[in-house]
Amino acid sequence: MGIDLRIAGVSKHFGEFQALKGIDLDIEQGSFVCLLGPSGCGKTTLLRIIAGFERASAGQLLLNGSDISAVPPHKRDFGMVFQSLALFPHMSVAENIAYGLKFRGVTGVKRDDRVAELLDVISLPAIADRPVSSLSGGQRQRVAIARALAVQPRLFLLDEPLSALDAQLRDAMQIELRQLQQQFGVTTILVTHDQTEAMMLADKLVVMKGGEVCQQGAPQEIYSQPATAFTAQFLGASNILDAIASDQGIVQLFGADTVFSTEEAPGTALKLSVRAENVILDRAPHPSGGPCAEVEFIRNLGASTEILVKNGATTVRVRLSSRDSILRTLAIGERVALQFDPEGCVVFRADAD
Amino acid sequence: MSRVGLLPGEGGGSYRLVVCVLAGIGIVIAAAPVVIIFIMSFSAAETSSFPPSELSLRWYESALALFRSDESSGSQAVGAALISSLQVALVVMVLSVTACIPLAYALVRGRRRLRQGMELLFTLPLVFPLVMLGIAFLLLAESLRWELGLWRLVIPHLALVVPFVLRNCMSAMQSISRETEEAAISLGASPLRAGIDIVVPLMKPGILAGLIFAFIISFNEFTITFFMYTIDQSTLPIWMYSRTVSSLDPSTLALSVFIILIDLVMIIAIDKIIAGRASLF
Amino acid sequence: MPAHEQTLQSLMRHQSAARVRRWRPDSALWLLCLPALLIITPFLVACLYMLRFSVSADTGSINGFSLQAYAELAQPYFLRSLWLTLKLAASSTVIVLMLAVPLAMVIVTTRSASWRRLMTVVVLLPMILNLLIQSYGWILLLGPAGVINTTLLQLGMVERPLILLFNEKGVLLGLVQTSLPLAVFPLMSSMRAVSQEYLEAASGLGASHWRSFVDITLPLLKPGLIGAGSIVFAFNASAFAVPLLLGGRRVRMLGLAIRDMISPLFNWSGAAAGGMVLILIITLVLVLSTWLVSRSDVRGGS
Ligand SMILES: Nc1ncnc2c1ncn2[C@@H]1O[C@H](COP(=O)(O)OP(=O)(O)O)[C@@H](O)[C@H]1O
Ligand SMILES: [Mg+2]
Repeated sequence: MGIDLRIAGVSKHFGEFQALKGIDLDIEQGSFVCLLGPSGCGKTTLLRIIAGFERASAGQLLLNGSDISAVPPHKRDFGMVFQSLALFPHMSVAENIAYGLKFRGVTGVKRDDRVAELLDVISLPAIADRPVSSLSGGQRQRVAIARALAVQPRLFLLDEPLSALDAQLRDAMQIELRQLQQQFGVTTILVTHDQTEAMMLADKLVVMKGGEVCQQGAPQEIYSQPATAFTAQFLGASNILDAIASDQGIVQLFGADTVFSTEEAPGTALKLSVRAENVILDRAPHPSGGPCAEVEFIRNLGASTEILVKNGATTVRVRLSSRDSILRTLAIGERVALQFDPEGCVVFRADAD
Repeated sequence: MSRVGLLPGEGGGSYRLVVCVLAGIGIVIAAAPVVIIFIMSFSAAETSSFPPSELSLRWYESALALFRSDESSGSQAVGAALISSLQVALVVMVLSVTACIPLAYALVRGRRRLRQGMELLFTLPLVFPLVMLGIAFLLLAESLRWELGLWRLVIPHLALVVPFVLRNCMSAMQSISRETEEAAISLGASPLRAGIDIVVPLMKPGILAGLIFAFIISFNEFTITFFMYTIDQSTLPIWMYSRTVSSLDPSTLALSVFIILIDLVMIIAIDKIIAGRASLF
Repeated sequence: MPAHEQTLQSLMRHQSAARVRRWRPDSALWLLCLPALLIITPFLVACLYMLRFSVSADTGSINGFSLQAYAELAQPYFLRSLWLTLKLAASSTVIVLMLAVPLAMVIVTTRSASWRRLMTVVVLLPMILNLLIQSYGWILLLGPAGVINTTLLQLGMVERPLILLFNEKGVLLGLVQTSLPLAVFPLMSSMRAVSQEYLEAASGLGASHWRSFVDITLPLLKPGLIGAGSIVFAFNASAFAVPLLLGGRRVRMLGLAIRDMISPLFNWSGAAAGGMVLILIITLVLVLSTWLVSRSDVRGGS
């Protein structure tokens, strides 16, 4: 697969404030890229620069190798779904979907066919003549997507399109969106601050923070090998624990050795990122002298059980399968040994962010 | 939402009584002239005994007769005055709204600095005394000695209505999100096309209210026109004034009722259109 | 989609260097302001022209510079007119505020939408309707042969018609009527902003309605009152049609005095200078009120 869009050193200043700091990103033909990051990190700004609604202060946008920075937005031929959806309130559903077609010379019967086809694709064949104000949230969502796809865009851009939907509808729409993207084979960039959504949809995940890209790659890769504590936390690691490098090159937690080794100099402050489901509890004392903690809270959530254990001021979140044998006797206030499944754990320098 | 605290519904005692009486006086003062004109225009008598002992439509008949007998002695005929009033109002209405639509767009979408400066500039005619507007325009027109025709009245009226029209257009514009416009652009519409297809239709309530405002303000304008009118270019209010300088002629009352009704219909229309969404001033 | 790529490539090739340079939305926005600027230009020119006339050495044309026109304003007839104007504008402002506050209160608290709408229209009408017609109404009601005098005469309560119009009282009444909406509408919006909770808290503490009005509502309305009052004052200080039609030319407010300089006397520079004085008064009042409001904002915020 070739590179479709190359974002090269794109920066954006709003007066004194720098919203984007030299973004470099390659977007492959036909891929689904998710820009993930906390609110205010510059995702929308980047997407609007790609769409042409903002101009980058520096850097280039290369579409198939040619710089499109100077092409005005209406000539870029990119389909966009906005956070507010931005349906045209004075037009019917069909008129909304047909709007972009007239600029591409699609008129008359051909246009009607195309609208009907898209209404089929989004499984809403019967609403063509309804005003958009009469639609439900999910229906609006689909109409906005259909409107952008109707013009067979060169690039499909979505800005938090599902954030206004309730959780259940959002799950369904994520699957639908992914299927639509594959069906149309269109290169897609979606902005979100929801890691599950990003994991669910992306071929390539781009994690952003403070106007910079912290990490990019396949979702699974980033999930299991986050490059920074920030990425780890943002991708749902529930515990970022303060640790330290010992003289023997071992990572020490709560003053006790863990199974992890480190190359950092002795005494370096570290952070250990551990997912709740990768902590294993055992009876204290620890078989190999590892860290221990006291049980503070237990809550059965059905398939899994959530346990909070505490050492000093630090609380560690643990999620065990409800069938785990230790749960039968575990009581609040009891001391337990903490073991970690190395698969889900990453060690960072504390100052690495 | 009840507001018992602001004005007690029950048992407010002397407070409630005073508030209601003062509000009642306010309403009476506001409405008295219109109500009295309305009633007396149906009176059959020459004197203003109240209530009229006998009702008739004779003043309406004589008002109609005014329109028919066109060549009233020397001065401009009422029909001509009405027509020129309407002409001026229509031109003012169309021009002011046409100019204010793009302006409202630029001010709402533009930088804050641009907006503040322009808003100040375009509200200036509002705080400027009408007499002074009349005198200033008269000075200018007399010095230039241009043959302005209709424009002699249109130009001053435009300055007068622009603040109102702009305010209505802007409040309509403010409710249009930038994203809606950008959606059209992303679909291939040029910015101008997006303006025509999306922004203007969505501004419709403000545009309508602006049109009506421009019309009633121009149609009812008295002070500036009082300075600017000529024998050929006059308006209905000026015609009525010149006719009644000496005494009140009941047939002009009938004419007044006709104008009041036009105004009422327009005010109600504005109220419907902008119902709570925008401010009148 | 090779076709797409081709069009895009050719598109980019065809864009000349000049067009590629920079798409400047700001200059386009200025262009959009142009028609309106064109419409307002005669107004600005007329104002500047008048300013220039006021410092002309000649009374009938622009000729040289002199402050004589201003100096000549210091004559009893103009000063009397100035005093009368300030007096009427101030007293009408006080009366309007006393009526507008309760009226705005009643309109805001009325629950029925149609009553609220009716009252709004009734209050708005004097603002919109041609002043001439309104003065007919007053003459019919209060004039020497008007409804009230005819009735009183018929009842034998008076022997000669009372003089209710064509004096200062008549003008004051007209000023109050025509400027009432200018105060009622802004006050309505400030009243909507007066939080219900303050008042409930006050009545919960046992404050009477009068007390909570004086202690809570009035201070919260202060910026609105200052704003509305200054607008009413400015509007009435520059009144022309009301004194012309209801004062019977005997109540010479500034507007009339200025007109008299032109119409019988052709003293253009004098009229222009008088107008500048009027504008100065209005500007002072508006600036003062803005300052007062911003000062009370600062205090409320700290
Ligand atoms: N037009 C603008 N003017 C000034 N600052 C802006 C503008 N647009 C965005 N910003 C700032 O840039 C930062 C990034 O914004 P945005 O891209 O919208 O973030 P995100 O979509 O990731 O939440 C924010 O801090 C925001 O305040
Ligand atoms: Mg955003």
